[in-house]
Amino acid sequence: MQSQRSKIKMDDAKTHENVLEIGRLTKMYGSHVGVKDLDLTVFRGEIMGFLGPNGAGKTTTIRCCLALIAKTAGEITIFGLDSHRDAVAIRKRTGYLPGDFGLIPSVKASSYLKYLLSLRKCDSTKKMMSLAERLQLDLDRKTNELSKGNKQKVGIIQAFMADQDLIILDEPSGLDPLVQQEFYHILREEKRQGKTIFMSSHVLAEVESVCDRVAIIRKGQVRVVEGINVLQERTGKVLEVEFIDHVSIDEFKLDGVSDVHLDNGRLVMTIHENLDSVIKTVSNHRILNMNLKTYSLEELFLKYYTEQKVEDTGDT
Amino acid sequence: MMAGRIAYMELRTGWKGLLIFGLLISIVSAGIPLIFPTFRDSLAEELEGANKVDLELPDEEGGNITLSWEALKGATSYTVLEDNRLSMVTAKLKYMGNETSITFEKDFEEKRYYAVTAVSNASSDPVLIGIATTEKGEDPFQELMKNPVYAGFTGGREISMLEVKGFITLELFSWWWMLAGLFVAYLSVSMIASDFENKRMDMTFSTPISWQRYLVEKFIAMSLVALFTILVGAVGLAGGLAGVNALHEFSINAVVLSLISCLPFLLVIAAVGMLTAVSFQKVRAGMGLTFGFVFAQFFMYTFGNFSRSLEWMKAISIFNYWDYSSVIIDGLFNAGDFIALAILAIVLLVICVWISRKKDIPA
Repeated sequence: MQSQRSKIKMDDAKTHENVLEIGRLTKMYGSHVGVKDLDLTVFRGEIMGFLGPNGAGKTTTIRCCLALIAKTAGEITIFGLDSHRDAVAIRKRTGYLPGDFGLIPSVKASSYLKYLLSLRKCDSTKKMMSLAERLQLDLDRKTNELSKGNKQKVGIIQAFMADQDLIILDEPSGLDPLVQQEFYHILREEKRQGKTIFMSSHVLAEVESVCDRVAIIRKGQVRVVEGINVLQERTGKVLEVEFIDHVSIDEFKLDGVSDVHLDNGRLVMTIHENLDSVIKTVSNHRILNMNLKTYSLEELFLKYYTEQKVEDTGDT
Repeated sequence: MMAGRIAYMELRTGWKGLLIFGLLISIVSAGIPLIFPTFRDSLAEELEGANKVDLELPDEEGGNITLSWEALKGATSYTVLEDNRLSMVTAKLKYMGNETSITFEKDFEEKRYYAVTAVSNASSDPVLIGIATTEKGEDPFQELMKNPVYAGFTGGREISMLEVKGFITLELFSWWWMLAGLFVAYLSVSMIASDFENKRMDMTFSTPISWQRYLVEKFIAMSLVALFTILVGAVGLAGGLAGVNALHEFSINAVVLSLISCLPFLLVIAAVGMLTAVSFQKVRAGMGLTFGFVFAQFFMYTFGNFSRSLEWMKAISIFNYWDYSSVIIDGLFNAGDFIALAILAIVLLVICVWISRKKDIPA
């Protein structure tokens, strides 16, 4: 795994420009480990997903990147600048949606957003208005009158409105489904315009639908960094078939097939390759129902963690 | 153009509270001079029947006092009671007889009251003819002024509550620190600590601003609040003084200067408030510590007046460097103290910036 990751790193260096580079980042909160020796690279123009359960260190990593908290050890460079020494210069080119945030009360949403734009010395009111329209946010509402979802929209708008080169989003969920789809469109559009997006999430479907690559973090360390497609291919596709006839499980123990289970005529297996042979074997029987699906990231996530748990306990 | 946005936003969101406080300040500042005439008249009021009793004091110490009074028709005898209190509850009999004048040696230093009563055939009860005092017209608060606690407010100067300057010094300025100082302490802590507590910091610091700019702009906002407080207080005080025709005794310049002289005093409190807010990142902790600082400074200054051995406490209290009495009573503005406090405020602000850079913003 280590050598493979090193190879990927070398390949990346040849073909990509690194916007964000984290090297051996450690953040301690007293004796508690926030993140430990964390390595991560985000390339220009990609949407990088950052997955992990609550408390894994996603927010800590992001807040270290923006110098909102000090790092205990390690290096972070963004646009080639030091995250903490050059924090102000970095933030000129970076948009950020915090995971949990409050707004200045008793002002209109538009006033608050214009205030943030003025701190950026940026006059992109037009984009602000356009984003508000797309996300269906009434900018004339006072910030203290906004619902949680609408506050999240304010947060999203402020992250994108100043046309930053890098946009860091910490858990950008919490919108209603239609607006969420519009938000994904915005993400893709920004990517097409050459923006780099680094987003943490535990809504795996979100990452699946928009991200190019994903880093999975666990207990403060990045355990895997893969392209979404590669990751899905590596974990395979799941085939579920309900047979009318009696079938034997041995028939399906084919090359490229794993995790075969048969229960009351219902067969479930994971197909990594050799799909053609599997389908032909299935066609030898009368079937009631069949479903071929890719692992959702949620299942992938669980599968990955289960495997890690087994590795950690040394049980094979 | 973009500089000052944080200060502007602070003032914009807090204008209602500021307006209410400004109203309170103006009512207090204008109201206190307005009650001065009533207060003075109540002190200067003549003793009962004073026009019927005459007390002649000796020019030299140890001479004789002559007390005489109007004869009462039908009086069979007169009684003179002596006490050092007007209430006469511990009075001793000085004289009883038919004379309407007595002479006796002045063998005391403190103030004495003499009540002359008469008994007549018409009534069995004695009738009060009048009361006289050895120190007629003296400000009854004069003794209090020698108390170290009051000396703290007056800078040890001889002031009289019967004069508008003395009255304003003791009744307005001695409380001004509590009114304006604690308001500034409250605002300076809450404007920063509430940004932490309400999780507004991440959003603010996602923009390209530095801690230095954030804190300097907040300090500027506090300076404007302090200046507003002072100006509203000055307008209220000037209005109140004009209302009682006392501006000839206490000029507009003195009003403004005496209050302006407290600007760096308030700025030091503001800087301490910001320092505690940045250090503890909690409104309650910051508020408690800053209020504690203000009261501790006041008590140190007060205790510093008690004895020479405690004078060091006075020297390290910021109250020692806001000498409003100097402007009001002596007409002197102490620029040195003003600058010293202003420098202290800036030093505290620099420490505040330094600490902020060392601290994590809580998630």
